[in-house]
Amino acid sequence: MAVSKEDVKSLIKIFEQSDWQEMRLEVDGLKLMVSKSGEAARVAPATLAAPVVAAPAAPAPSAPVLVAPTPLPLAGNQTVIKAPNLGSFWRQPKPGAPAYVEIGQSIDEDTTVALIEVMKLFTPVKAGIRAKIVRCLVEDGEMVEYDMPLFVVEKI
Amino acid sequence: MAQLKRVLVANRGEIAVRVIRACEALGIETVLAMSAADRDTMGAKLATRAVCIGPASSTQSYLNANLIAQAARSTHCDAIHPGYGFLSERYELAKLCEDNAIIFVGPSADSIRKVGDKLIARTMAAAAGVPIVPGSERVEDAEHAAATAANIGYPVMLKAAAGGGGRGVFVALNPAEIHTSFERASAEARAAFGDGSLYMERYIGNARHIEVQVLGDSHGNAIHLGERDCSIQRRYQKVIEEGPATILTPALRMRLHHAALSLVKHLNYRNAGTVEFLYDADRQEFFFIEMNARVQVEHPVSELITGVDIVQEQLRIAAGDALSVDQDSIKVTGHAIECRINAESPENDFMPRAGRINLWQPPQGEGIRLDSHCYSGYLVPPYYDSMIGKLLAHGVDRPAAIRRMSQALDQFRVDGIATNIEFHKAVLADDEYVAGRVNTKWLENVFLPRFQKGLH
Repeated sequence: MAVSKEDVKSLIKIFEQSDWQEMRLEVDGLKLMVSKSGEAARVAPATLAAPVVAAPAAPAPSAPVLVAPTPLPLAGNQTVIKAPNLGSFWRQPKPGAPAYVEIGQSIDEDTTVALIEVMKLFTPVKAGIRAKIVRCLVEDGEMVEYDMPLFVVEKI
Repeated sequence: MAQLKRVLVANRGEIAVRVIRACEALGIETVLAMSAADRDTMGAKLATRAVCIGPASSTQSYLNANLIAQAARSTHCDAIHPGYGFLSERYELAKLCEDNAIIFVGPSADSIRKVGDKLIARTMAAAAGVPIVPGSERVEDAEHAAATAANIGYPVMLKAAAGGGGRGVFVALNPAEIHTSFERASAEARAAFGDGSLYMERYIGNARHIEVQVLGDSHGNAIHLGERDCSIQRRYQKVIEEGPATILTPALRMRLHHAALSLVKHLNYRNAGTVEFLYDADRQEFFFIEMNARVQVEHPVSELITGVDIVQEQLRIAAGDALSVDQDSIKVTGHAIECRINAESPENDFMPRAGRINLWQPPQGEGIRLDSHCYSGYLVPPYYDSMIGKLLAHGVDRPAAIRRMSQALDQFRVDGIATNIEFHKAVLADDEYVAGRVNTKWLENVFLPRFQKGLH
C-alpha cells in the first residue's frame, strides 16, 4: 500500500482530534509514531524514504487504516464499565449534587454509576458488575461514544 | 455556502461515501455517525471524523433519531444529511432538527409528513392537477374494499397507507380474492408499519415505473432533471434503473415533467425529490404513485445524463442558497443505466450473503461510474441491506449504454462473497431487455423463470 502525504496528514489530524496519547502505525516501508506526551512528537525518518504518490482519484484503500484507540493498561483483576450508546456523560443526577459513585466505592450489578444524556433524555448507566471504582475516565459533560470505557473497576 | 461548516452524515455504505465526497467538494467538514459494525468502513476513513453512536442493530443506531441529533450537537455539526432509507423520510428526525436549530438536509418536517402519507400525497397530487391512478381513499374493512373494487374495476391493488418498498401490497384479480387480499395486506401493513390502514388502486398489468428527478429550493425555484425508467424490479425492489425512459414520446415526456413540477410547486417542496409514476404502456397514460422526499439510490442515473451533482445541490438548498442551475441550462445527454450490485446469490433465491470480500476489482473506463464503499478485505456485515455498490454506464444512446454496461460487468471481479453480477449480465444480454419490451413484472414473471431454467 502506497501511503501518500495526504494519508499521513489525515492520520495526524485523526490523532490530534482523538483522546489518544500515542499512535503507532506500520505499513509497507512506513513507520509512523506520534505522541502527545512530554517527548516531542516525532515522525520516524522512514516516512521520508517511503515513496509518496498522488492519491488515486477513486478511493481504493487496500487495507483498513488502524484507528483503534490504544487499549487501556489494566491490571489482571481490573475491567471497565462501557458506554451503552453515544451521549453526554454525567457523574451526578444534577449539577451540584454528589456523584453517583466515588473512587474506591464498592458497587454491585445494579448500582447506577453515571447518566448518559441523549437529547435531554437521561439514561442511567448500570455497573453490571460487582466491583470497586478505581478511576473515572471521562470528564463531566463530555461526549462518549458507544462502547467507550467510562470507569476502570476492580473486580471483587 | 456560508452556513454549512460541518455536516453529520447519518447513514452508512455507499451513500455515506457519496455524501462525504459531495461535502468535501464544497469544503464542508463531515462527521460520520456510525454503528459499531461499521468502524472499518470507507465512510469512517473518509469523513473528517467518525463517531460510534451505538451497536450494530439499526434500531439502536441508524434508526435512533435522538442519538443522531445528539451526535450532531455534541460534535457541533450545523446540519444532518440522512442519505436514503433509515431516517431519511421520518418526520421525527426532521422535527427534532427543526426544534434544535440543526439544518436537516431534506424537506421540512411538514413536507415529509404530507408526502409520507400516501393518502395525503394522492390528494395533494390531485389538487395540483397531477393524474392519479383510479382508486380510493382509506378502506375500512373487507366489505368496504369489495364495494370500492366494484367501482374502480378489477384487477385492484391493496396498499398500505404508511407503506413503501412494496411491503403491504396485494392484488385482487376478482371479487373472490378481495377478502383474503384485504386481510393479508392489512396484517402485513400492521406488522411492517404499525398501521393497518389501506387504500386501493386499479392494478395496471402492463406498467412501467417511470420517475422524475426534481429539485426545489427555498427561493421558489423548482426544476426537473429528466426521468428514469425503473421497471426492472424484483419483489417491488428496483434492480436496474435507466434514463431517459425511451418508451415515452417527446409530447408525453413533456407532460410528465410538467406534472412532476406542478406537484413540487404545489408543495413548495425544498430538497431533491422523486415523483414516481406508473405508466400504462397499453393506454399510454401515466399516473402519480408517490413522491420520495430524499435523495434516491438511483440518483446517479440523472447525474450522468444532466451533469448536475444532486447531493451538492441538496447541500446548497439546505444552506438556504438557490439552486446552481436553472431549467434552461439542463440538457439531457445520452443514456445511462445503473445496476444495483448486491451481495446475494441469485442462484439461491437471492439469499443475502455477508462475508469478507477477498478481492474487489471494479471496472474502469470512459462512461463508467461505480458508487461503492467496498474494497479488498472489507467485511460485508450481516446487519444491513445487501447492496454493495451501484455500477453505472453512460453512452451516446441506449444501445451504447447497454454495451458499455455489459463490458463493465465482464470486467468486474469480486471474490469472497456471492454477488448478482452474473445475473445482471444475463439481463443485459436478454433480447427482450435490449428491445425494451419489458414492464414491472417482466423480470419476475418472464426473465427469472428463463434464468432459473438456464441454471439447471
